[in-house]
Amino acid sequence: MNALLPPELLRRLEQLQLLAARRAKSSLKGERRSRARGLSVEFADHRNYVLGDDLRYLDWNLFGRLDRLFLKLYEEERELPLRIFLDCSESMNFGSPSKFDFARRVAASVGYVALCGFDRVSIQCFPQPPATLPQAEVVARGALRSVRGKTSSMTFFNALSQLSAGGAADFNESLRRGAMEAKQTGAALVLSDFLDPAGYEAGLTALIGRGFQVTAIQILAPEEVDPTTFGDLRLIDSESGAETEVTFGKYRMAAYRQTVANYLERLREYCTGRGIRFATVTSNTDLGDLLLKQLRAAEVWV
Amino acid sequence: MSFLAPIAFFFAATLPVVVVFYLLKRKRVVRLVPSTVLWQKFLAENQASAPFQKLRRNWLLLLQLLLMALIVLALARPYFSGKTNEAALQVVVLDASASMQSTDVSPSRFDRARSEVLAMVDGLHGGNQQMLVLVAGAAAEVRQSATSEKSALRRAIQAAEVTDSTTRLTEALRVAETLTRDKPGSEIHLFSDGAGVDLSEFENKDLRLVYHPVGVRSKNLGVVSLDVKANPEDPARRAVFASVVNTSGESFDTTLELLFDGQVVESKAITVGPTNSTPVVFSAAQARKGIFTVRLGLTDDLAADNQASVPSALPEPIRVILVTRGNRFLERAVAASGPNVEVSTTTDLAEPLPKADVFVLDDVVPGVWPTGNVLAIHTGNTNWFPAGMGQMEAPQVVDWKNTHPLLRFVSLDNVQIASSLAVKTPTWAVSLVDSPSAPLVLAGDFGRQRVVWIGFDTLQSTWPLRVSFPIFIANAMEWLNPVTAKTELFQIHAGEAFRMPLGEGLAQIKEATVVSPGNRTRTIPLGTEAREFVFGETPRQGVYQVRFGTNTLDFCANLLDARESNLTPQRALSLGRRGSISGTKSQVANLEYWRAFALAGLAILMLEWWWFHRRTA
Repeated sequence: MNALLPPELLRRLEQLQLLAARRAKSSLKGERRSRARGLSVEFADHRNYVLGDDLRYLDWNLFGRLDRLFLKLYEEERELPLRIFLDCSESMNFGSPSKFDFARRVAASVGYVALCGFDRVSIQCFPQPPATLPQAEVVARGALRSVRGKTSSMTFFNALSQLSAGGAADFNESLRRGAMEAKQTGAALVLSDFLDPAGYEAGLTALIGRGFQVTAIQILAPEEVDPTTFGDLRLIDSESGAETEVTFGKYRMAAYRQTVANYLERLREYCTGRGIRFATVTSNTDLGDLLLKQLRAAEVWV
Repeated sequence: MSFLAPIAFFFAATLPVVVVFYLLKRKRVVRLVPSTVLWQKFLAENQASAPFQKLRRNWLLLLQLLLMALIVLALARPYFSGKTNEAALQVVVLDASASMQSTDVSPSRFDRARSEVLAMVDGLHGGNQQMLVLVAGAAAEVRQSATSEKSALRRAIQAAEVTDSTTRLTEALRVAETLTRDKPGSEIHLFSDGAGVDLSEFENKDLRLVYHPVGVRSKNLGVVSLDVKANPEDPARRAVFASVVNTSGESFDTTLELLFDGQVVESKAITVGPTNSTPVVFSAAQARKGIFTVRLGLTDDLAADNQASVPSALPEPIRVILVTRGNRFLERAVAASGPNVEVSTTTDLAEPLPKADVFVLDDVVPGVWPTGNVLAIHTGNTNWFPAGMGQMEAPQVVDWKNTHPLLRFVSLDNVQIASSLAVKTPTWAVSLVDSPSAPLVLAGDFGRQRVVWIGFDTLQSTWPLRVSFPIFIANAMEWLNPVTAKTELFQIHAGEAFRMPLGEGLAQIKEATVVSPGNRTRTIPLGTEAREFVFGETPRQGVYQVRFGTNTLDFCANLLDARESNLTPQRALSLGRRGSISGTKSQVANLEYWRAFALAGLAILMLEWWWFHRRTA
C-alpha cells in the first residue's frame, strides 16, 4: 500500500480515535462535539422561544406541561483540525533508522487516525524550505497543508514520503508562526528531537497560548542516548556548525546518561506542567509499541 | 628527613614541563553529530560542581605531577638519621665458633647472624659511615677493613665461614677495642650466641659493645672429653675414656659407638639426664696403631660435638733411668708408676748417655745433662733458669693447679717442706705448685725436652709420706713419656695449629700434603732447614692425614669443649663481676628511603597507564 506504514498497523489504527480534551472550535462540520449549537441528535439545552424561531424545534411536551414555549437546542458536531509540526531539520537525518523517517511514520499514523475520524489534518514542515528544494517536494509540502477524509489518505502518505530533511531548525519561531497562522485551533502534534540550541519553551508556549491541545513526541537517535565514540573528540553540530571539544570515555558514560536523563526530565516536567502530552522515543523503537501503547497511555487517542 | 643528593631537586624543573604538556592542544578526532546541545549540557553539568569535578578532570595531570615529584624525591635520596646507626665506624664481630653451627634457628645461628649483619650493611647510609668486619673463628680475622663500600662488605660477610673451633672472642674484641679506642662515634657490634664468651678482660675498659644475640635453645648432647690409656686391669687392652654432656633440659637416651679406624668396635646405650654428664669407658683390644673415634647416635642441634677422635699408638715400655744417691720412696714410686716401666738406677750420668725415655735426677747434678725428658728434683740446669737460683726456707704450699694432667688426683694438703730452691718462673714453664714467693713445681717444654722440676728435696719434706706422691710420680711418668707427648701432639682442638718436629729422616722431604676431613688437599712446601711442620688450617673437626713422601700420619682435630657444647643462648653478657651487656633485639632499619619513593613512582606510573587505557578503551 505504502512504504510508511504496514497494512496491519493501518487496520489497527482505523479503530482508534483521537481524544479531544476540549470541544472542537472548527467552523466546519465534523464528528466532534463542539460548543456550537446546531443540528444533531445530541440534546444540549432549552431556551425561551422568540419570534422567528423554527417551530420544528419547539418542545411540545414541555409546552403541554408548563404552557410555555421552549425551544430545544442540539449540539453541533464539528471537525477537529489536527496540525502536525514536523521537524525537517538536518539533525533529523541522523540515527539508524533516521529520526526523520521515524517522525514521518508517526505523522502518517496519527494523520491516518485523524483522517479516519473525519478530522482535517495539516502538516507543517519546519524550517522554511530552502529555495533549492525540488519542485516535487514543494508540491508535496503544499498538498500536506490541508488533508481531509479517509479517501485522501493515499495522497497524504505519498506526499509524506516525498519529504526530505535539511537545514537548520528554528523551532520556536516555526511553532510560533504556525500557531499564529492557524485559523482554527485544535490538536497539535509536535514531532522533533527538541535539541534546538535556543530551547523549546517559547514555541510550545505559543501553541498553548493559541489554544492548541498539544502532544509532543521527542525522537532521539540511539547514539544520542548511548554514545559509541570515545576519546578526544571535536564534535561539530550538523545544523549550526558549532564545535565542541570533549574528552569522552566509558567512565563518563554514566555522567552523560545522567545529563540526558536530566534534559528529558526537564522537558517532561515542562510539558506536563502545561498540559502537553509528552512521549520520548528513540528512532529504533518499534512503531506499533509507540502508537498502541505509549500514545494510548498518554491519552492521545483511544 | 635529610637528603643525600639534594642537587637532584634541580630535576623538579621538569614539573612545569608536565603542566606545559597539558597546556598543549590535544589532537582530537572530528565527529559530526546531530546536535551538540546535549554535549554542551554534559560539559556544563560536569564542570558545574566546581572543585571536585575540576580535580577529577585533572586526575592525569595530578598523577603525573605526583610521579615526577616521587622520582625527584627518590633521586634526592632521602634518609632518616636513626640514633642507632649514627656511629661513624661500626666494627662487626661475627662469632664463627662451633656453637654458631647450632640449627635451633633456621638455617643456623651463624647464617642468622650473617643475615643480620647483611641487614646492617644495608642500613649504612654511605658517605661518612664505615664498617669493619671481624670474624672470630679459631683466630680473629679482619675480613674487611673499614670501608663504606657495601658490595665489599657484603662479599666479605658472605665469604665468612663457621668453624668447629671454640669461642675466642677475646682476641677479636681486643682488636675491635683497639680500633674503636679514641674514636667517639664508633661502636662494636657483636653477633654471637654468647656460648663460652668471657669478657672479664674488658671489665674496666670503655667498651662500646652492642650485643646481638642469636639462638633460642640448647638441645644438645656432646662429647666433651676423650682419652685413650692403657687398661689398668689388663695391660694388653686399651681403655677409652669419654664423657658425654647433656646441656638441655630434657633427658636423652642414645648410643655411643666406639670405632677403630672407621670400624665399629663397641656400642653402649647411655642415658644422660638434663644438664648432666656421663662418663663412658670402653675397653678395646688394639693390634695396630690407629684412631679411636666415639660417635653419638642421635641428631641434635649441634653436630660438631657428636663425635671425637683420638690417635692411639701401641703401648711401648718406658725406659726410665733414675739418677739418685738413694731414695727408696722415689724408686718404688717410679717402679710402680705403670705396667710398662723399666727402671734402671745409677748414681751419675756420663758419656755416652744410655738410651732412655725419661731421666729422673734426684738431688744430683749429673756429669752430662740428659737430652731426653727429665724429672728434676732439687737440681737445676742454669740453661733452664737464666735468672739464677736462690734458696728459701720452709716454704708453704699455697696453691696448685689441679687441672694440669701432672696434678690429676693430687692433693698437696699437709705437705711440709724444709727448704727449697727459689727461682723465677721461666717463660718455657708453668708453675704447678706455688709458695707465696716462688714456684715449687714447674713443668714445660724446654726446646724439645719435656721438663718437670721440683724445687725441693722430697726427702726434706713430708710429701713422700702422702698418698699424692706416688700418684704424682705416675702422672709425671705418663706426661714425660714421649709416646704420650706424641699422642698429645696428634690430638689438637679444631682451629689450633698442628705442629710436629721434623726429625732427621724427614729432612730430605720437599713438601707435605694434608688431606682435610672434607677431602680437601693442601700441599705445603717444606724448606730444607725446616725443623718443624706447622699446619694451621684446621677449622673442621675430624681426622687429618699428612703425607711426607711415602710416610703417612694422622692427626685429629676435635671440639671437646664443654662450654662450647653448652648451646644455651645468653641474653646478656657479663662484663667481669659488675657490668653486663644485654642483648639488643632492635632491628637495624633500612634508613634510606629512595627505594620506597621509586617503588611508589613505579606504582603511580602503572596506575596512570591503566587509567589512560581505561578511558580510551
